Amino acid sequence: MNTKRALITGITGQDGSYLAELLLSKGYEVHGIIRRSSSFNTERIDPLYKDRHEKGAKITLHHGDLSDPSSLIKILGEAQPDEIYNLAAQSHVRVSFDIPEFTGDVTGIGTLRLLDAMRQVTPKARFYQASSSEMYGLVQEVPQKETTPFYPRSPYAVAKLYSHWITVNYRESYGLHASSGILFNHESPRRGETFVTRKITRAVARIKAGLQEKLFLGNLESKRDWGYAPEYVEAMWRMLQQDKPDDYVVATGETHTVQEFLEVAFARAGLDPQKHVSFDERYLRPAEVDLLIGDASKAKKRLGWEPKVKFKQLAEIMVDADIEQLKKEMEGRHIRN
Amino acid sequence: MAFPKKTKKALIIGVSGQDGAYLAKLLLEKGYEVHGTSRDHEVSSFANLVKLGIRDRVKTTSMVTSDFRSVLTALHRAEADEVYNLAGQTSVGMSFDYPVETFDSILIGTMNLLECLRLFKHPSRFYNAGSSEVFGNTKKPATETTPFYPRSPYAAAKAAAQYAVTNYREAYGLFACTGILFNHESPLRPARFVTQKIVSTAVRIANGSKEKLTLGRLDIRRDWGWAPEYVDAMWRMLQQKKPDDYVVATGEEHSLQQFVAETFRQLGLDWRKHVASDRKLFRPSDIEQSCGNASKARRKLGFKTKIGFKKIISALIKQDQIHQ
Repeated sequence: MNTKRALITGITGQDGSYLAELLLSKGYEVHGIIRRSSSFNTERIDPLYKDRHEKGAKITLHHGDLSDPSSLIKILGEAQPDEIYNLAAQSHVRVSFDIPEFTGDVTGIGTLRLLDAMRQVTPKARFYQASSSEMYGLVQEVPQKETTPFYPRSPYAVAKLYSHWITVNYRESYGLHASSGILFNHESPRRGETFVTRKITRAVARIKAGLQEKLFLGNLESKRDWGYAPEYVEAMWRMLQQDKPDDYVVATGETHTVQEFLEVAFARAGLDPQKHVSFDERYLRPAEVDLLIGDASKAKKRLGWEPKVKFKQLAEIMVDADIEQLKKEMEGRHIRN
Repeated sequence: MAFPKKTKKALIIGVSGQDGAYLAKLLLEKGYEVHGTSRDHEVSSFANLVKLGIRDRVKTTSMVTSDFRSVLTALHRAEADEVYNLAGQTSVGMSFDYPVETFDSILIGTMNLLECLRLFKHPSRFYNAGSSEVFGNTKKPATETTPFYPRSPYAAAKAAAQYAVTNYREAYGLFACTGILFNHESPLRPARFVTQKIVSTAVRIANGSKEKLTLGRLDIRRDWGWAPEYVDAMWRMLQQKKPDDYVVATGEEHSLQQFVAETFRQLGLDWRKHVASDRKLFRPSDIEQSCGNASKARRKLGFKTKIGFKKIISALIKQDQIHQ
């Protein structure tokens, strides 16, 4: 059998880097799209790129942008992918209130540009769209499943909703093998540092090391369904191995408050959150999402996918990793660029 | 301004780049309160600001110039006396790969800024980063009156943006200037730029690496200056009584081959043994010769260049050796 080729947009992000690792381990030739940037954040995939030189790992990076249709057509022509994973987005919910138009352009219309490029250049490819539990927003049903009506509560969620429906529409209109994974929150030591879980676990490491005293947070009452990112990218891959494209909720089925995450994370390092955490209204969203909890029984039944790492273990993995990383930084072995 | 403030405020659009970082440093030294924007405030490491030791002194926010709302909000919040637009796609080579995003970030971005400034009662003074690429080939050193001949999507966007700035200055009386800067280098240039690629590869070869340095055309000629000196010219433009456009250049021209030869020479190597040319690296259309005449900037702004060709190369090598 020929080597399968995959194209990942957003390869420098948390999910992109885990997915690239997974696909390389399965023998795929991996192509990724990166944006221009004056201070590029490729640290998550730097180890894979090193393997390319040392062990012949099959990974190629292309410069492109979801806001530029011709760059997408060119890259699809060069990479000729069998599978396309659209993980690129302006993915920060609170920031989407500051740059709503850009968020709509990249997180929303960007998906249309990619689907349309695929329809023209590689119509036989299989397409994965990274949808988000934020689309449920002001939840209409508990827990949320594939048939639950959406109610987005941020420019980010509205843009993701557009992407979800345009994926469904291209599947139905043009017979594309296009699937949408509605993933609930999924975290890891590679989570961006401004996302609340990572912000907490980094702060725990820094407080423990005496580098920081206070941690400022917004709403502690929001409830989220938190899973472990490396397991979630496995679900993405499984969706594209099905005969028929479809949409799937991916979640743990448990919900916890930010406050609970805070407590588990601080306890892991023997610290008391009460002494260190303060409220800052700047971190509040103009419209909040209070409760998310997913029902992934369809993914379990059809994809044979089940989460193994649950809430407490997840928080502990992240705290341990941040303590370890900070130790390395302080010893000067790992200097952040 | 009706109510002169004690501390001047500046807003740097695109503060994470080379010029943004040096300009921030300069303005902080002059006592300004410095605000900066980036597309990636939430994820950016602001590595250049960190390298210059000023990360904590620059107030940063997320803003995308092609997003009108974000421009309006950022300008309104900063209430800056001076706004410097340094954001946008900056690579000529990559502009052939994504021409649309290049146009968006450069032309639409500049238009959004001009439109927002026009809405304010006391609009800030505005500096827009023009580029020598608008001239295409320069038979003799280009001045402010040399006709344009853009030869890449990047250059076409920069040319259009410059016309927009001039138009808003004339139509609405905005204090808006374009600095037509020729190539300017520093250790903060991203690795994809050819000067940085030459220096890093040569330093690795000097340290024993067996690799070849593969380049496109070696016969192209450029006017290379030192970025920290060029950001000073930007600031000077906004301190004049009247807004105007200025060429910023050294007036000296060197071929890429001379750049390569000088780099290897300073490392005690013969470049001919280590360099290969690859047609794949040729651009769809290139500029053979680019040189500027900055006499207006020297006369009116007191602009001076102290760091010349050889010093630029030795400074780049020194910085690279520290990092490798």
